[in-house]
Amino acid sequence: MWRNVAVIGCGQTKHGRRRDVSLAEMVEDAAWKAMEDAQLTPNEIDAIVVGNMQGFGGVAHPDCWVGDWIGAPGKPVMRVATGGTTGGSVGQAAIYAVASGMYDKVLAVAWEKHSDSKEPGATTGLLHVALGNLAHALNYGLSLKHLIVTQAVGAAAGVALYQARFYMHRSGCRIEHLDMVAAKSRRNAAKNKYAHLRWPGCTPEDIAKTEMIAYPFRFGHICPASDGASAIVVAAEDIAKRREKPVAWVKGLAAYSDEENQLMSESYGGVGVLDASEQMGCRVSAMKAYKMAGIEDPKREIDVAEIYQPFPSQELIFAERLGLFEEGKAWIALEEGEMEIDGRMPTDPSGGVLSTNAIGSSALQRILEAALQVMGKAEEHQVPKEVRNAVAHGWGGVTNYITVTVLGDSPR
Amino acid sequence: MSEEKVIRYGFPFVARFEWSVGFLMERFIKSLVDKKILAAKCPSCGYTYVPPRSRCGKCYAQLGETNLVELSGKGKLVGYTIAHVELDGSGNFRDLEKPRVIGAIKLEGADSTIFMPLEEVDPKEVKEGMEVEVKWRDEMKGPVDFAFRPVR
Amino acid sequence: MRRVAIVGYAQTQHQFDMDKTREDMVFEVVKEALLDAGISREEVDTVITSSSDFLDGRTISSVFLSMAAGAYLKDESKAEEDGTSAVWYAFMKILAGTHDVALVEAHTQASTFNPHLVSFYTLDPLFDRQVGLLNDIAAAAIQARMYMSAYGVSEEEIARVAVKNLLNAAKNPNAHRKIPDVTVEEVLSSKLYYHPIRELMMSPLSDGACALVLASEEKARKITDNPVWIEGVGCCQDFYLRDRDLLKLGSLEKAARDAYEMAGVRDPLTELDLFEVSEKFAHEELMIYEALGLCRRGKGKILLEKGLTEKDGEIPVNPSGGALGADPVCATGLVRIVEAAKQIRGEADGYQVSGVRKALAHGQFGICAQKNWVFILGGER
Repeated sequence: MWRNVAVIGCGQTKHGRRRDVSLAEMVEDAAWKAMEDAQLTPNEIDAIVVGNMQGFGGVAHPDCWVGDWIGAPGKPVMRVATGGTTGGSVGQAAIYAVASGMYDKVLAVAWEKHSDSKEPGATTGLLHVALGNLAHALNYGLSLKHLIVTQAVGAAAGVALYQARFYMHRSGCRIEHLDMVAAKSRRNAAKNKYAHLRWPGCTPEDIAKTEMIAYPFRFGHICPASDGASAIVVAAEDIAKRREKPVAWVKGLAAYSDEENQLMSESYGGVGVLDASEQMGCRVSAMKAYKMAGIEDPKREIDVAEIYQPFPSQELIFAERLGLFEEGKAWIALEEGEMEIDGRMPTDPSGGVLSTNAIGSSALQRILEAALQVMGKAEEHQVPKEVRNAVAHGWGGVTNYITVTVLGDSPR
Repeated sequence: MSEEKVIRYGFPFVARFEWSVGFLMERFIKSLVDKKILAAKCPSCGYTYVPPRSRCGKCYAQLGETNLVELSGKGKLVGYTIAHVELDGSGNFRDLEKPRVIGAIKLEGADSTIFMPLEEVDPKEVKEGMEVEVKWRDEMKGPVDFAFRPVR
Repeated sequence: MRRVAIVGYAQTQHQFDMDKTREDMVFEVVKEALLDAGISREEVDTVITSSSDFLDGRTISSVFLSMAAGAYLKDESKAEEDGTSAVWYAFMKILAGTHDVALVEAHTQASTFNPHLVSFYTLDPLFDRQVGLLNDIAAAAIQARMYMSAYGVSEEEIARVAVKNLLNAAKNPNAHRKIPDVTVEEVLSSKLYYHPIRELMMSPLSDGACALVLASEEKARKITDNPVWIEGVGCCQDFYLRDRDLLKLGSLEKAARDAYEMAGVRDPLTELDLFEVSEKFAHEELMIYEALGLCRRGKGKILLEKGLTEKDGEIPVNPSGGALGADPVCATGLVRIVEAAKQIRGEADGYQVSGVRKALAHGQFGICAQKNWVFILGGER
């Protein structure tokens, strides 16, 4: 049966274009920081879970090579990969490994290194995504020039685009609100020493000046393609309780997936889900995770949220689907400053994925940042209020994969 | 169930990569041009890696520039195979006109095994335990283009 | 600790270049597995799939397959390596008490992209891949030759492993490579790739899928009266190719030890009735005997010689034909678990071994079996 699990150590690399380190060196940087933070040597780690989007780094099953750098030899190692939610899935696999009773201390590491690609104007991995979804991207009005300008992150934008339009149509949210979310992200990222795109004092007007890619996404709304890795160490209750430093307890988790939100998907003639902002998978995941955590009213009981938002519309959409705001009203709360770091419901105080996107690692980074908030260790971007419960979210695939993890300051 | 066969078509896609190698590997690659083979010796357990790396996989100590050692370039053949095919880069095997020897070599002063071409030898004459030495190219066609040959 | 059982399973007829889309193949095998268990999709709590982006030829390869595997609005994830890893994950999820019924699915259509080229891509990109000589076959050939030299094992003895397994595969309706009259001579005259490894000493490139249903004890008892209990699990990863001892399968030794300990098995030779192992190369099976503790190092050939590992021997190994009979890469280990469960349940029509109560199933991934998973399964009667 379930035994309680806590995050006892966190580590991440500086994100950006990391040509200064090899893939293995980048991954071990995060892994070692996490183990040091957890005050454990590799010999004391019982199992490791790793993940990244392998096509993006150009190495197949990189854990076979990189494993030697993070203490894998001689241990059980699981490789998990689920697209954008990879990091979240990696974290959750580690949590289940400890909760199951089979292992006491598990290291979870996730990463992405885009800069190893050799394609001009785009990272190889994202180009792969772009080509795979080219017909759809062009359908949504993206031009080839825009695809290149955004280093093909614009390809993923295709799906997010029509999701944004659905949301704006249903809720009354306007493009100005997307500018506000992006500016908030850059400002928060400026307080996060590991983030990639940091812009202290960024305003919505600064964002509004950037070029329009395809309505309603501007260049300033697009997340970067970052190199980076993040790692956490999770441990069983008795070990976590013996630590003198604060830990973040896992209160609930879920990863309910939805049908792929892509019209004219390459395998079928059509799909049942027409409104990409519906996100049933997220609603169900949140419901299950909160139930497990004993949270009945997330609007009052969740103190901070780390939402996976490579595009600003998604911060609003998922904040609602996670039950943090009334349906269709997140943009109003944004206007009233509720989502700021010092607001009533701070979202993405780390800057989130909008400002730092090492895809494979990003969802694990949300769990990591939520844990830092609970532990009070987020330094300059720590929210200035008591954090009892935090929620970390991830999405991936064709907006059909979701992970939701609830962390708190006390065990279940 | 429909009687139609599945339609197949290929999607041509080339993905090119250029990996950043990190500091120690960069030293190794540059030293090859000077006809030197560098290794990294762990200060804690003594395990010597070739090519050099910044973290010991056995005892987890960190290795840096001060742990670099130069190897003699001589070693022992601890294993080998004779290749009669090679991968053509598109997922097919093509037959080699002349079989090639791939040697598993333990260099003097190092603990890692490296897998390199063994040249200037008749495949039928190759024996495990042979003494081998590095054979430098007049012109390297790639960053790690070098081979080995039996010591005469 | 909660008990977890296998309550249903299915696999495709593994073959070269299946005339089906990946989605259809996955859908059909999952449907069949649910039918075999006698449960509906609604009763499944979590779905774990197993496949590889590189082998499937697209990124996030499970994105259109999760639905085909019945994961709509279900807690799902994906282990991107051998299917035994997905079973391990699903097992832990049920043990954690948050889920009661799990569906595990694994597949690869090897005809999409050559798995041997993918093995080349798993190499260190900074050195071994630049040298450009190695792949899983070349490395296995080096290992085979080292093993043969060190312990005096001949090519004939290696070929006899292939003959044993291919003859077994001929009776297995799901196997890919069926050569009912194969001989040692035929194996030794098949195409030479990297000496000493020949075509019939390597697993074939198969398209195939496999699925199974796991359930917690309470649910298992309601679903079936013939559950196959997972009594022990072990997993271990070895060092990278340059820094490991190739003369033994060290990580398999450790994984087996962990699985034996969990299952309370002290002497595998006498306590286990059957072994389904993933031998991608014929010589690996001999090394596997040794790593599983069935004989001393270098003595694997003696077990084969004495006929102990034949289908009607005392410790039958791979009555299904093993990986040499069919290798749908990511599904291969999962197929081993299903084949072992089949034998325990008495459902292996045409190649049933009698009196199987406890069995071992093994999966591997990576060059020269760098990663290994071991499962100990036990029946009721």
